[in-house]
Amino acid sequence: MNTPAPPPPENSEKWEVQLRKGSLELAILAALWNGRLYGLEILRHLESNSALTVVEGTAYPLLNRLRSLGLVETEWVESDSGHPRKYYQLTEAGRQRALEMTRIWGQFSQKMNDLLAPLNGQPRKEEP
Amino acid sequence: MTTATISQKTIDAYLAALRKQLRDLLDEDVKDIVEEIRAHILDKISDQLTDDSVAATLAALGTPEELAARYRTEELLKRAQASRSPASMLRSLFRWATLTLVGVVVFVVSVVGYCLGGFLVILAALKAIWPSGTGLWQDSQPDGTMKSLGLGFGNQPGQGHELLGWWLLPIGFLLGAGLLVLTFRFGIWSIRKFWRPLAWR
Repeated sequence: MNTPAPPPPENSEKWEVQLRKGSLELAILAALWNGRLYGLEILRHLESNSALTVVEGTAYPLLNRLRSLGLVETEWVESDSGHPRKYYQLTEAGRQRALEMTRIWGQFSQKMNDLLAPLNGQPRKEEP
Repeated sequence: MTTATISQKTIDAYLAALRKQLRDLLDEDVKDIVEEIRAHILDKISDQLTDDSVAATLAALGTPEELAARYRTEELLKRAQASRSPASMLRSLFRWATLTLVGVVVFVVSVVGYCLGGFLVILAALKAIWPSGTGLWQDSQPDGTMKSLGLGFGNQPGQGHELLGWWLLPIGFLLGAGLLVLTFRFGIWSIRKFWRPLAWR
């Protein structure tokens, strides 16, 4: 049987970049769910809780955009380190958006996982 | 000079360059952004201030130009959509063009679209003020085949036979305005579709 040639690696790389980019906004909103964090804390939170590494030079402009969309609000807070830090906190709109995105994400990934089960060599799960 | 002062100078130079690149944003936004990046750098190197740790931290942020471009593209897209003016749209697209090849293509297409659209509208307006000198002329050879087709205005009207007459006025306005709107839509659509900052590594 003929198997098609695997796609060039740059394509799957591109796909992964798109996928990650699309989910970064939700990842950041989720990181802020339990309270305010400053930029570096958000990056470290993502890294330690999900092993997802964000390009720092992109995270800050994205945070800036989330603020201009009204999903987060910011506040400068003095710290022991000698310089103030800019903290981010979800607004009510941000909380709603995070919940909605989580719901969509859950439904979508559930359906995708069902679809992908045969590829993982798993039997298809029956509906309870 | 100690390592600490050299590193401090490197950081200051980076932030100064960033501030300069962001100069077309609102002053308070610039201050906010620069101070946040300063705090980020200081937090990152708080364990050990060495030339290497400073260099690695700055590299992760990208050059001041790249970092500023990410902030400004968001900002300019917002403004381009809000103002709808060709100038602000082209400014946004020009920023993009300095970053990627897709940006260059979109910028060039938009420049051509705006120029052609603007030209048609101006031509229609000129037809109203200066009917005899404005038009679309077709110059035919004796056997009836077309030699040249000229659209424009001037002291020396085009050779041959004018085709559109007063029709140039509505046609020019509609076609020109349509092209301007289409070019704007194309710009917004392209940015939405193709603008993909590399978000993760």
